[in-house]
Amino acid sequence: MKRALASVSSPLEKEAKLSFESDLTALLPRLRRFARSLTHDAADADDLTQVAVERALVARASFAAGTRMDSWMYRIMRNAWIDTSRARTRAAQTFVAEEAGAAIGDDGDRAMEARAELDRVGRAMATLPDEQREAVALVLVEGLAYKEAAAVLDIPMGTLTSRLVRGRAALMERLGKAA
Amino acid sequence: MSIDPETLMAYADGECDPLTARRVEKAMAADPAIAAEVEAHRALRMQLSNAFAPIADEPIPARIAAPLTSNVVAFPGRPRRRFSAAWAGAVAASLVVGLVLGRGLMPAGPVATGASGLIAGGALARALDTQLGSDGARDGVRMLASFRAQDGALCRVFTATRTSGIACRDGQAWALRRTMTGVTENGAYRQAASPTAALMTDAQDLMAGEPLDTAAERDAVARGWR
Repeated sequence: MKRALASVSSPLEKEAKLSFESDLTALLPRLRRFARSLTHDAADADDLTQVAVERALVARASFAAGTRMDSWMYRIMRNAWIDTSRARTRAAQTFVAEEAGAAIGDDGDRAMEARAELDRVGRAMATLPDEQREAVALVLVEGLAYKEAAAVLDIPMGTLTSRLVRGRAALMERLGKAA
Repeated sequence: MSIDPETLMAYADGECDPLTARRVEKAMAADPAIAAEVEAHRALRMQLSNAFAPIADEPIPARIAAPLTSNVVAFPGRPRRRFSAAWAGAVAASLVVGLVLGRGLMPAGPVATGASGLIAGGALARALDTQLGSDGARDGVRMLASFRAQDGALCRVFTATRTSGIACRDGQAWALRRTMTGVTENGAYRQAASPTAALMTDAQDLMAGEPLDTAAERDAVARGWR
């Protein structure tokens, strides 16, 4: 009986638990987007999001209520990416279909354009070294301030800005050429 | 005046302090190439942010959202939630069974509707008032455990021929927080009963501290379960 009793939460804890889950649910669209900018491949991105959510649930005790959950989740996802999908992503990018976006029919023109653009930008992102890609993804796609992105990546500001500058220069070159 | 690439980029992203920003603006005014570079930074940011924006508008695949919702439901020790769905049926069933078949055992019927839900009536109420766990079965009613709930009420887990459940003292009445269709009194009910096991699990969820021992039960009877 004792052991069962230990798992009974106070009403306050239950409330915190429920808000943890609903806060995390509200972040899912942004997390999927971040995953997509890291992995490029849609299925890989959803795998990564799933892993990040699972890890967050396991690590929930380490989340300090009142602090920013988005930063905390970005960090979890980025670490999960490093642990689980880097090797696979790197292998996959060699084989990215050249015109994957154009092959999908039946959508409206605008949807098809959007898909083609996502594919084009995603392929350019996929050519970046990981450390530049994650910096670009956090600042340019997710819209984090430099300071926040540096905290998520656990690197000094100067390191973040130099990775950003290099990543952007490479992207400008690639996307400029392809346009 | 030369501006390093990091500063130029930071200016484009709105990350410069006002003093540095003014320095960059002067340089941009003096050199169109610098202004074009700032513009290229902004255009790239726009392009990337627009390209990935549709992802955030897509519906979330069920396999991603599922752990967050199922976890809420499966959380142990959430009696109210469990009560609402599964127990509603059991309450209805035992109420009907109790009213129809309980007459021989409990003349006034074991269950009645009180101001705030179901309350114990007749012989069941009397048994809850006075019978001890150590008394064993009396007229088919047996007290399995007594305990103080987290909300302070004193509660008892009981089994009877047709109705089993958890009753908690609410003013003058015994409010039935759990009811199930009965446990057969054939001498083997303690092992038999998945209903009994379910009741004990629910009792654990409700309980604050330890169950009352016989002396504490006797004391509670003497004080009218306040």
